[in-house]
Amino acid sequence: MIRLQNIEKVYRTSTIETLALNSINLEVAKGEFLSIMGPSGCGKSTLLNIIGLLDAPTRGDISIGEQKTGHLGDRELAAFRNKKLGFIFQSYHLINDLQVVDNVELPLLYRSMSAKERKQLATEALEKVGLSNRINHFPTQLSGGQRQRVAIARAIVGRPEIILADEPTGNLDSAMGNEIMEILMDLNRNEGTTIVMVTHDENMAHKTHRLVRLFDGSQVS
Amino acid sequence: MFKHLLKLIWNKKKQNFLLISEILFSFMVIFAVFTFGIYCWDNYKQPMGMEYENVLAVNFTNPVKTTNADSLRLFYETVKRNLKSLPEVDEVSYASVNIPFSESTINNSMDINGKNIRQINEFSGEDSYPGVVNLKMAEGRWYNKQDGLPGTRNMVINRALKEKAFGDVPVVGKFLGDPAKPSERFKIIGVIENIKFNGDYQSPALAIYKRMDTAGYKWVSNMLIKVRPSADAAFESRLYKTLANSLNNANVEIEHLANKRISINKMTLVPMIILSIVAGFLIINVALGLFGVLWYNINKRRGEIGLRRALGATGNGVSSQIVWEAMILATFSMIIGSFFAVQFPLLNVFDLPAMVYIIALLASVLFIYALVLVCSLYPGRQAAAIYPAVALHEE
Amino acid sequence: MLRNYFKIAIAVLKRRKFFTFISLFGISFTLTILMVATAYIDKLVNDPYPDAKRDRSLYVNKLEQKMKDGRQSGPLSFYFLDHYAGSLKIPAKVAISSMSRATNTYVNNKKIVINYKYVNSDYWDVLEYDFVEGKPFSKQQIANGEHVTVISEDTKKEYFGETGSVVGKYIEADNVKYRINGVVKNVPVTAYQFFADIYLPYTVSKTDYKDKAYHGEYIAILLAKNEADVPAMRKEYEQMISKVPLPNKDITKMYSHANSYLVSYVNVGSEDTSGIAYVITAIGLFALLVMLLPTLNLVNINITRIMERSSEIGVRKAFGASSRTLVYQFIVENLILTLIGGLIGVLLTFIVIRVLNNAQLIDNLYLTINFTVLLYALAICVFFGLFSGVYPAWRMSKLNVVTALRQNN
Repeated sequence: MIRLQNIEKVYRTSTIETLALNSINLEVAKGEFLSIMGPSGCGKSTLLNIIGLLDAPTRGDISIGEQKTGHLGDRELAAFRNKKLGFIFQSYHLINDLQVVDNVELPLLYRSMSAKERKQLATEALEKVGLSNRINHFPTQLSGGQRQRVAIARAIVGRPEIILADEPTGNLDSAMGNEIMEILMDLNRNEGTTIVMVTHDENMAHKTHRLVRLFDGSQVS
Repeated sequence: MFKHLLKLIWNKKKQNFLLISEILFSFMVIFAVFTFGIYCWDNYKQPMGMEYENVLAVNFTNPVKTTNADSLRLFYETVKRNLKSLPEVDEVSYASVNIPFSESTINNSMDINGKNIRQINEFSGEDSYPGVVNLKMAEGRWYNKQDGLPGTRNMVINRALKEKAFGDVPVVGKFLGDPAKPSERFKIIGVIENIKFNGDYQSPALAIYKRMDTAGYKWVSNMLIKVRPSADAAFESRLYKTLANSLNNANVEIEHLANKRISINKMTLVPMIILSIVAGFLIINVALGLFGVLWYNINKRRGEIGLRRALGATGNGVSSQIVWEAMILATFSMIIGSFFAVQFPLLNVFDLPAMVYIIALLASVLFIYALVLVCSLYPGRQAAAIYPAVALHEE
Repeated sequence: MLRNYFKIAIAVLKRRKFFTFISLFGISFTLTILMVATAYIDKLVNDPYPDAKRDRSLYVNKLEQKMKDGRQSGPLSFYFLDHYAGSLKIPAKVAISSMSRATNTYVNNKKIVINYKYVNSDYWDVLEYDFVEGKPFSKQQIANGEHVTVISEDTKKEYFGETGSVVGKYIEADNVKYRINGVVKNVPVTAYQFFADIYLPYTVSKTDYKDKAYHGEYIAILLAKNEADVPAMRKEYEQMISKVPLPNKDITKMYSHANSYLVSYVNVGSEDTSGIAYVITAIGLFALLVMLLPTLNLVNINITRIMERSSEIGVRKAFGASSRTLVYQFIVENLILTLIGGLIGVLLTFIVIRVLNNAQLIDNLYLTINFTVLLYALAICVFFGLFSGVYPAWRMSKLNVVTALRQNN
């Protein structure tokens, strides 16, 4: 499903050159739940950004599905992210000025779809995360766990094949974290969604199919 | 997408309130300036209705003590004959104090065709008046000697008054004044084309033109003289001597109608220029402020913009979203502003034609949209340049 | 503490140069407009030349006669002012002069427009014209009906060109030759009660100054011995007017007032509608409009600035600053900003006034920035600073520490 070949990422400033990722080769199968661990600054977020096509590698190739992505332009990348990928972040990144349902609808806005359809899908997605009673609340009126569930609903509303989660439980206590983890695992099990998750939490990581460890930009296991 | 943006702006109405009111006030200022400007331009395009080149305006303190009608007339006839004996003088007419471009007015109200019409300018001139300023008849004729016969009650009006009182129909032979008061009733013998006697930028006002009568001669203090183009300063000095000698005991001043026109135009132009400069600076001020706030908001919304990019918005999509948001804000302001602006034609506040307001309104709307567009383009570009990978990991 | 605020304010201003620029631009430009307008108005109503004894003077320039269906309003006759105002006990002097009128004279086939004014001898005592040469004509000369005159510097220059003394020479105006008795410094036309190119004895006027009609072309200045007498003088004039017989039976009532300079200068409106209120409203509205937009702009930018600094505010609060101190801090910062803007505004005003004076849009009108104008500027600045600072500061004080700390961008 996801194939990374010889990925290298170098950050340059005027004085220093930092090697963030060093020849990463990684293959994720369809329906796999993969977690990436490593200390702060090891490059795991960079790796997730590259998989999410938010960042381009300095060298190396990425294919997602059958699609090689190296030559895609801004417009194609945007459309590709919109259809194939869903994102979940540690700090939720909800738009505080929009109601929950509007936040969830967000990815659908960048597709051609009628308002009614959008609303329908968004409501369904919220049902799946157990928030159908919070549709018209604003994010600021919700708890952290609820907010992250809204973020998950937003990630799945477009039915992507891949979900990329960047420390989804990092801001939550263990009970709420477990709740979120359950939802993700259900998604993986029932819908066959491929999930790549970056985490700090060994417990969470061990619940996934496979664990990849990074250290100083290199893959260590 | 549009609805989504509306919702976003609506939910942020508290933050947007100041921005909206700022655009609203700018809109009102621009509307005022445009109304004034368009009104002036509209009037400027109208024909002058008269010739002011080579016309001299003389004003003198009233030199005659007698109240005897015949000796008055004789005195002024003599002065006139003396003037006409100068080879450069083509034509002379005494006139009431409100000569063109003079800033003095004589206003009256009158019952015409069953309507009480106010603010009618009342001018007096002699039979030679049209020859001096070359005014054109739209209908009928100007006065002649017969109109001076006792019992003749004739009147010349201008086109503006005719249209206001009667509409666009021939009016020669119709009557002015209240039928119940025969002493105030006059027969229309002619209609002249409008004269912009208040300068190029004023609308032609309602006017009646009377034939100079005994009462007129008693208080007369002005005359208009049409001279040949060859008349120079040396001639003017001779003319001055002739006048001073004929009108003994009077203080005399000679002015050129062309110069009077320039100075009365300044009465409109100077406020216009000051207003435009002030408004211009206000608008620059507002534009910079708008730009600054939009730009700053982009920085504040980096997370949101990064997210939108991650969820599939293109760079152009994000930048047009920023522009659209600003445009919708401007639209809100202008809907409120237009509500106030349309009160002017509806309540007829300044007695300007409704068309002027409408054009000014449309022009102001376009102007504000253009301004907002310009101010939001760069912030929009900035938003498009936000790197989602960076923006999403800043917190 | 204040020193500390000042340091922070400067640092903040330096940090976001663009916003600082916008704020300063708005403040300084608005101030410039208002200051030039103030300088202009100040020049019109507070210029001590030639009218230096304003505190103990009252001005009469209008008589209103009310009829059944209308009114007639305008300057008064020489007879009226001389006979009635001249008989008052309190005024030490009564200066009577005609409103200036224009006439022409021709020198070497060049036309010169000459504004002339007829005056009595008290006129020269009440008003303090600067005599560049010569002296005013005397009471005796007036009584004799001598053709003598006092001319302005401009007239001298225009009529005689660059030359030495012209006292004793003749100037021709209105076809009459007048001997020059003195030359005075120019008065701008905006001081219309005192402006003229040549001043003549009222006895040589071509219209009959003995005419007993009440309306005419003359205005008067009543000069009291000292400031304390002014209210009594005003009263005496009112009483006198109430006793003047009505000229004919059409006139139902007569009004005329001895006013302060400002009221007489504005001289619009009638008995029923106050002119001065109208003028003050108009000026106030203009000032409000000119200030409203920049103020809104400033409030907007200030709020933006505060939100930008929410993490700083969070930290300060976390380390024990109360909301009140923060509000003070912000208002002081804002005042510093507006005062800097004010300083730039004053500089700009100097430049604009310099340009305006050089352009001489109105002859002989030289604007200056004086203490009063500066005081107004300072007041406007403080108003700006407070007005545009208070609302944002209030918003800031409501900022929650935790959220402020969390969102640091």
